Amino acid sequence: MSEYQMNKLLFETGRQHKAVESISDETQLAAYDLTPQEREALKAGDIKRLYELGANPYLLRRVFRPRFHI
Amino acid sequence: MATIVAGSLTTHGPQLTIKPVTADPQQSVRFRRAMAEARRRLEAARPDVLVVFSNDHLQNFFYDNMPAFCVGVGERYWAPSEGGGNTLKIPARQISGATEWSRAFVKTALESDFDVSYAHELEFWDDLSVPLSFLMPEDTIPVVPILINCVAPPLPRPRRCYALGALVKTFVEGVRPDAERVALLGTGGISHRIGVPGHGIISPEFDQRVLGAIQRGDGEALAALTYDEIEEEGGNGGQEIRNWIPVLGALPGRKGQVLYDEPVPDWLVGTGVVWMEV
Repeated sequence: MSEYQMNKLLFETGRQHKAVESISDETQLAAYDLTPQEREALKAGDIKRLYELGANPYLLRRVFRPRFHI
Repeated sequence: MATIVAGSLTTHGPQLTIKPVTADPQQSVRFRRAMAEARRRLEAARPDVLVVFSNDHLQNFFYDNMPAFCVGVGERYWAPSEGGGNTLKIPARQISGATEWSRAFVKTALESDFDVSYAHELEFWDDLSVPLSFLMPEDTIPVVPILINCVAPPLPRPRRCYALGALVKTFVEGVRPDAERVALLGTGGISHRIGVPGHGIISPEFDQRVLGAIQRGDGEALAALTYDEIEEEGGNGGQEIRNWIPVLGALPGRKGQVLYDEPVPDWLVGTGVVWMEV
């Protein structure tokens, strides 16, 4: 179940109280066992796609805060 | 036998303190007035302990080990920590835990086949920090945090949350020492959608359904809600109504007085403040 790894990346990013538009740092991404779809969506900061892939919405809100209209 | 001397229900949310002045500034004035009234009543009830039902927002717990119900047994908690406080725009502070109460409750719960988990270290974000910044700005009442999983499905059933409240009532009235005064607070909800398609949409119909049941003294109606019903009508944030339900379970048949009730788009949430009969 790879969505666990994606959520782990978001959880650990969110804990640093950092809000970003996208996550494209290869070193950071390489630390997690992600599917190509997950990597692509993280790099694009595509919150809708990430949600469909199983990202927890509270983690999406925290990490990708600038992506939300309000 | 100890006594439940107060019960209150409030929305929580980071925007309440991040953006205190809303597009309609009178809304926030009304909200603050309601919270000040709830604070006045809470202080007038002179509680020895404040039991707060709320939920983690994946700052303490993660999918590596996700408790359905977790009782804080610490001596103090960050509410909020410095990092959380910077985001929430409220000062970092520590609040005192009612450690002996918490530990005794965990023991009673387990002996009653209610298998709660417990934690010594918990950091609170908007879940406790924001409501307590209004209701208990000084560290005056020791707190028992009871966290219910509302954010990482599958979630415990509302029926079980009601039973948790009934257990708290039994514990207070049957186990705690005479003359102890216990206040209950539930924080979360009402309708909101966070991080999902439809983010920011509020559902006043769901808010009225919830508040109507509480005004009638019909906590059972909320205990009968299902996950799907809440998700559809109240949004994923509406699942936090689980935090209100134990207060209703501990005060069966009692009616709630709505002190504030408005959908506030700037806060992303159907915002409510309720004071319960005891």
